[in-house]
Amino acid sequence: MLEMHSVSKVYRTDTVETHALRDFSLQVEEGEFVAVTGPSGSGKTTFLNIAGLLEELSDGAYHLDGEEIGSLGDDARSRIRNEKIGFIFQSFNLIPDLDVFDNVDVPLRYRGFNAAERSRRIDESLERVGLTSRRRHLPSQLSGGQQQRVAIARALAGAPRFLLADEPTGNLDSEMAEAVLGLLNEINAAGTTIVMVTHDPDLARRVPRNVHVLDGRLQAPAQPEAPPIGAPNGLGAAAMSL
Amino acid sequence: MEFGPIWRAARRNKTGPVLIAVQIALTLAVVVNAVFIIQQRIEKITRDNGMDVDNILSVNSAVIGQDFKAELGVREDLRALRTIPGVIAVSASQHVPLSGSGWGTEFAASPESGAPRVNGVQYMMTTDAIQTLGVELVAGREFAEEDMVYAENFSDPQPSLIITQAYADELFPDGDALGQPLYDGLGRPSTIIGIVRRMHGAWVGWDKLSHVALLPRVMPSNSTHYLIRTEPGLVNQTLAQVEAALFGVNDQRVLQELRPMTETKDRSYQGDRGMAVLLGVVTLLMVSVTGVGIIGLASFAVRQRFKQIGTRRAVGARRRDILRYFLLENWMITTAGVVLGTLAALGINYWLMTAYDLERLDPLLLPVGILVIWALGLLAVAGPARRAAGISPAIATRTI
Repeated sequence: MLEMHSVSKVYRTDTVETHALRDFSLQVEEGEFVAVTGPSGSGKTTFLNIAGLLEELSDGAYHLDGEEIGSLGDDARSRIRNEKIGFIFQSFNLIPDLDVFDNVDVPLRYRGFNAAERSRRIDESLERVGLTSRRRHLPSQLSGGQQQRVAIARALAGAPRFLLADEPTGNLDSEMAEAVLGLLNEINAAGTTIVMVTHDPDLARRVPRNVHVLDGRLQAPAQPEAPPIGAPNGLGAAAMSL
Repeated sequence: MEFGPIWRAARRNKTGPVLIAVQIALTLAVVVNAVFIIQQRIEKITRDNGMDVDNILSVNSAVIGQDFKAELGVREDLRALRTIPGVIAVSASQHVPLSGSGWGTEFAASPESGAPRVNGVQYMMTTDAIQTLGVELVAGREFAEEDMVYAENFSDPQPSLIITQAYADELFPDGDALGQPLYDGLGRPSTIIGIVRRMHGAWVGWDKLSHVALLPRVMPSNSTHYLIRTEPGLVNQTLAQVEAALFGVNDQRVLQELRPMTETKDRSYQGDRGMAVLLGVVTLLMVSVTGVGIIGLASFAVRQRFKQIGTRRAVGARRRDILRYFLLENWMITTAGVVLGTLAALGINYWLMTAYDLERLDPLLLPVGILVIWALGLLAVAGPARRAAGISPAIATRTI
């Protein structure tokens, strides 16, 4: 699904050269749920940006779903982001002036679906995260957990095969974090590949596969110390209670 | 197209868009009417006055002393002025056309006391008046020497005159004015011996400006204007020789107001030109302020939505999607302003029509104004929209 070989990312200014990623190689199989951990400044967000085609790599090779990414132009990268990748951000990144329905609609419009298809997908996504009744609420009228579920609904509406989560529980209290993680597990169980960036080792331990980044390099593979939480149905129920 | 989400978002955060829409509406309403007034003033200034203004100059001569004989003095002055190289024709006149100074008159087509009298302005001139003014004679003939009246008194009869076509049409609606008698305020008849196509009189703002009568007459006065028509392009050269020519005849005189007729005309239209320039400046200022307002709102929107734009890019928006979003959003605001502005423009025009007798708005002006405002909106938002389109999708993952 995701293959990075000797990827490096260098940020340059007139006077400073920063190596955010060095000789970074990682392979994620279809259907995996991987937690990428590391301290602040370790390069995990840079990895997420490159994995999500938000930034270009400086060197190395990156294949996503069999497609070589390095040579693609901006439009093609946008298309892949829209069709194959779903994003979940730490601070939700909902558009404050749009209600829940319109927020989930944003990527679908860029996909070119007609109104009926978009509406069907939005309804399905909101039902999946348990927010059907909030479809005309503004983000400011929702709790943090609900906002993150809207963001997850937005990510799921395009039926991506690959979900990238950037500290998805970072702005949530423990109860809401638990529910969001449960929802992610449920989504993963349904077949979606997930890569989650987190600095929280406790959260990472509850994910089947961990990789650790330090100083822009991938460290030796680590195994989770605790099994992933609960069955999909139970997790879904937890998410509904947010 | 994202009409729905943009509309719903604007309704939730409407202060900025409403202010800009109102500003656009005011700009359209004021600018369209201002441009209409400018257009009318320019038409007024550049309208055909029938005369060869570019090649005429005038001077006022006031002879000092009691023994001045107008007939003799004027004849000698005319003879001297004709000798200046490049002069085509010369005529004396008690006033200069388009100068704001003239002799108002009224004529009737019938001697009966109840006959309708039509206002106009009269110029008492000498032979060669038609050629000197450069007006087009469409019927009859120019003054001959035997037509000239060297009056001893104001009440001396005036057997003949030439009038403009507009004056003739008003006095004789059925046509055939040539050869007909006209009656002045004292009931004295004057026969129409010629009709000129067009000539403007004294007061450029007067609705009877085209009602002009030329009388072959010299009044018993020490003060006379001379109109001098030159070969094309020789007005300034001739100006320098007028003083010498007239002082050569008689140096006991004061010469004043020696100037090209273009200057005389410019002075008369100074108010109209000033109004056109003022409205032009106001128009430019309003358009500029509106343009800057749109740029300001769009720039603020881009700065405010920096992360939002990054998020849109992250979830699949191409650069052109972002560009289109901002152009569309601005177009919707502009269009709302244009709709309001159209109504306001028509309202202001109606008020100007009723209160100030202005004409109905040129039907082309409003559509052109709308297109200009739309173009201004797109132009103003282009920069901020391009900056927005250049925002990296990686902004989405930044925490600040």
